Amino acid sequence: MRVTILPDRQVKEVDARTVADLLKALGLLRDAHIVVRGEDILTSDVRLTEGDELEVWPVISGGA
Amino acid sequence: MRCRRCRAPANVEIRRSRTAYCARCYPDWFRAQVQARIDHDRMFRRDERVLVAVSGGKDSLGLWHTLTRLGYQADGMYIRLGIADYSRRSQEKSEAFAARHGLTLHQVDLEKDHGFVVPDLLDTRSGKPCAACGTVKRYHFNRVAADLGYDVVATGHNLDDEAATLLGNVVHWNTDYLGRQGPVLESTHPGLVRKVKPLYRLGERETAAYAIIERIDYILEECPMARGAKSLAYKDMLNTLEEGQPGAKYQFLVGFLKHGRKSVQSGGFDQASDLRECTRCGQPTTGDLCAYCRMADRGRRKAVLKEAKYGRQPVATTGVPTEPASPGGRDD
Repeated sequence: MRVTILPDRQVKEVDARTVADLLKALGLLRDAHIVVRGEDILTSDVRLTEGDELEVWPVISGGA
Repeated sequence: MRCRRCRAPANVEIRRSRTAYCARCYPDWFRAQVQARIDHDRMFRRDERVLVAVSGGKDSLGLWHTLTRLGYQADGMYIRLGIADYSRRSQEKSEAFAARHGLTLHQVDLEKDHGFVVPDLLDTRSGKPCAACGTVKRYHFNRVAADLGYDVVATGHNLDDEAATLLGNVVHWNTDYLGRQGPVLESTHPGLVRKVKPLYRLGERETAAYAIIERIDYILEECPMARGAKSLAYKDMLNTLEEGQPGAKYQFLVGFLKHGRKSVQSGGFDQASDLRECTRCGQPTTGDLCAYCRMADRGRRKAVLKEAKYGRQPVATTGVPTEPASPGGRDD
């Protein structure tokens, strides 16, 4: 599946069965990211298919 | 996963409470959580005027959206910090939000009104301006709120911000900061406006989900000057812990507020009993000249020197040296 990682819109091809697997494969923490398909936020148990186009949104902000 | 309320397929899971909500039910749950904290912690009443500290990010815009949806009298305030493209984009997001929802947004322009920008305040030891930026924000949010008669300043600090601040203060045993860390900072002087953090029990992921579902257009990237800040490292450590122990961040913060804080000696500027007025600006201070006026003098000297040498340059947004953030973490 094709995954676009925001904010830089870096694109990666990843094989993963579920959203939780996807984040693990990308080395990303669940509490620091949101996975979106189309306009829907996905929970970590959602099953993914090969043709899915997904976005990963970081949620961490801070510093100044 | 199913929505706890309507049993439809869920969109947002709250791992710490083993629940989940669909996109239709989630905003109501989120707003109910905020309302519960406002009421429980006695942050403000419906007849009080609230000034929301706005940065253009998900937390401050999400808070402003929530408060207006809950029926509070909430205006916004944005400070033009002069951090190159980042400030321009965050200003655009803040102004667009206010215009879209017909809300009042007050603004302070540091460069135009005060003769310096945040990048002029780089700490010579750490190479970062985060601590000074926090002073700038606290000063102007308080001053504008006091001048315009607002009863309270509300900031978008969330659970992750507060837990990271707590961890940083524990690592360095900043007992003054520990003693006064909390969701409500009462006014201890006529010139100090009460400060509240209505999102302090909601995770950063939960505020982001709210912003996405409510189609709030916020600035996604983090402040370029904060790259490498310790507060971000603390958040990463806490999220690593949370991965295997859902609820750890919540227990860490709420446990401290319930059981630990009272054991720590309170102190610091906000609790000082001998506050007087700054001889230059009139804001409360413990000395003759307040910390902001002293810092602004340094910033203006730096701005003049820089302009004489190079002309006014856009601020670099990459390659900022990595080093510590302020003990208090983020300040918007």
